Amino acid sequence: MKWFKSLSVAALAIALVSTSVSAVGAASSLKGKIVINGSSALLPLTLQAANEFKKLHPKVKISASAAGSITGPQSVRKGIADIGAVDWDASQDVPGFKKFEGQVAHKVAIIPFAAVVNKNVKVEDLTTKQLQDIFSGKVTNWKDVGGDDADIIVVNRAFGSGTRVNFQMKALQGTEFISKGNNYKEVKSSGDMKTAVETTPNSIGYMDLVYVTSNMKALKINKVAPTEANVVNGTYKVWGYGYYMTKGEPDGATKEFIEYIQSAKFQNGSLKKLKFIPISAIK
Amino acid sequence: MQLDTSARPSIAGPNASGLGTSIKAGSGKSFDRKNRLLFYNRFFKLACIASAVFVCLILFGILFLMFRTGVLTFRDVSPMTFFFSTDWSPEKDRYGAFVFIFGTFALTLLTLLISVPLSVIIAVFLAEVAPTWLRNLLRPVLDLLVGIPSVVYGFLGLTILIPLLRDITGTNMGDGILAAAIVLTIMVLPTISRVSDDAISAVPRKYRDASYALGATRFQTIFKVTIPAARSGILYGVILGMARAIGETMAVVMVIGNTPQLADALFKPTSVLTSNIVMQIANVPFDSTWNNALYMMGFLLLVISLLMIVLVRLLQRKGAHS
Repeated sequence: MKWFKSLSVAALAIALVSTSVSAVGAASSLKGKIVINGSSALLPLTLQAANEFKKLHPKVKISASAAGSITGPQSVRKGIADIGAVDWDASQDVPGFKKFEGQVAHKVAIIPFAAVVNKNVKVEDLTTKQLQDIFSGKVTNWKDVGGDDADIIVVNRAFGSGTRVNFQMKALQGTEFISKGNNYKEVKSSGDMKTAVETTPNSIGYMDLVYVTSNMKALKINKVAPTEANVVNGTYKVWGYGYYMTKGEPDGATKEFIEYIQSAKFQNGSLKKLKFIPISAIK
Repeated sequence: MQLDTSARPSIAGPNASGLGTSIKAGSGKSFDRKNRLLFYNRFFKLACIASAVFVCLILFGILFLMFRTGVLTFRDVSPMTFFFSTDWSPEKDRYGAFVFIFGTFALTLLTLLISVPLSVIIAVFLAEVAPTWLRNLLRPVLDLLVGIPSVVYGFLGLTILIPLLRDITGTNMGDGILAAAIVLTIMVLPTISRVSDDAISAVPRKYRDASYALGATRFQTIFKVTIPAARSGILYGVILGMARAIGETMAVVMVIGNTPQLADALFKPTSVLTSNIVMQIANVPFDSTWNNALYMMGFLLLVISLLMIVLVRLLQRKGAHS
């Protein structure tokens, strides 16, 4: 059995050496640990990018989680995370949230949003003014905007939602939402918004374009339909960038990762498959 | 090692080391059977104490942590405003939590109004009326109902109950305190009725016999004798159900509408302590008054449920005396 023993030891040694050699040979020497926290809307994108990035750089550890947009830049400020994913540019003031000093925003994707109504609503098209009036509570009946005689049920996301911030800035141009009333309710997530608008007659809400299903109707805004093509050709204005926030300019693995997610290969490949729009599509 | 069991009849009382009477002397080795058993005994005792202390530590840890963060609210908001103002607009620095506190109590009360009579009737049916085969079928069914995750109830409420309420009453939305109370009723019904069922079944047969002997009907016996005799057990079930209703989050958040306005109508979107916390906690900045206020609301909930548990213990003791 001695020959067997020595043979197995030799085989093991060869295997060990060859794997370590191949690992070093195939991948870069980039090392490090990247922690990403923040927006749940951007999480699928982050996870996909992390998987691909880890194949290129096996020595980089990436852990990604999501707990809501605002936790992204907060975690970065506290030093818990290297990258904070957020649905708005957190280095600027937005309605309801102050800017985060000393953080740099990196655009990673374009997210289109749509105003949606229940299928029983006859209205197809609203102007910015009409949207503002509806969401601020000035117009409360569909007949005032060209529909049937029925109360408008406004479904809103809770304060702090990235979708809400974007919709308020881009579709309502900063107009304040109503916050009370018999025909007003708030929901916790995009999934709840979907269920609420699908099941509540005469309701209006808004969500990421990718969440829109055939059980609801996405409205034209100022006569422009919410499609990716219209976002790209510049006629549909209700969209926002998804951002990665870093503390100062990033370096090392974090920098490489952000560059990877912004690269043409990822933007035109995996990112498009996940139904985001590449940042290069809009100049 | 020789053990002389036959020559030693059992000695009364536990012996000091906590070991059986059979092992009195060791073999003299450093880790013989006696020492080993002594070690196990002591170790096990320590493990038990450590577990008990651990549980207490966790409870007080949670209480302390919630309180420590929650009490910071009062640096920026006066307790009067927090407890009695109905204006909750954190984005404008107005933190009046009365809407939620009132909502929690109103919702619980409404739930109990619907669920207690129903549960007691179910319990009476199970314990007094139903034939044995039906009883043996229904009891496990009720037990299974207790185990259904609350999010399932919430989802069914959102997709079935609310459209139904809308059709029946002709309201626009259907969201509100009544929808939430109905969902909660379905949730707490099995809890209350099973505990009440046990309490009613435990009423001695002689009470009923005496009642029948006096010429009472079955109805009179049940409502004048059996239920009063089982009162403290039923109350115990009611409080258990109430504790569940107060702390329930997922089912409530899906049907209540989540709007910070006073629940002064059955069909008006409103909010309670639990639903407001879960709606907002993910989106608040750390170390903000808003965050602290949410912790304070969590602490309030904790205190309310602790008080209820104390009440349950008192009732149990009272039940044991009578």
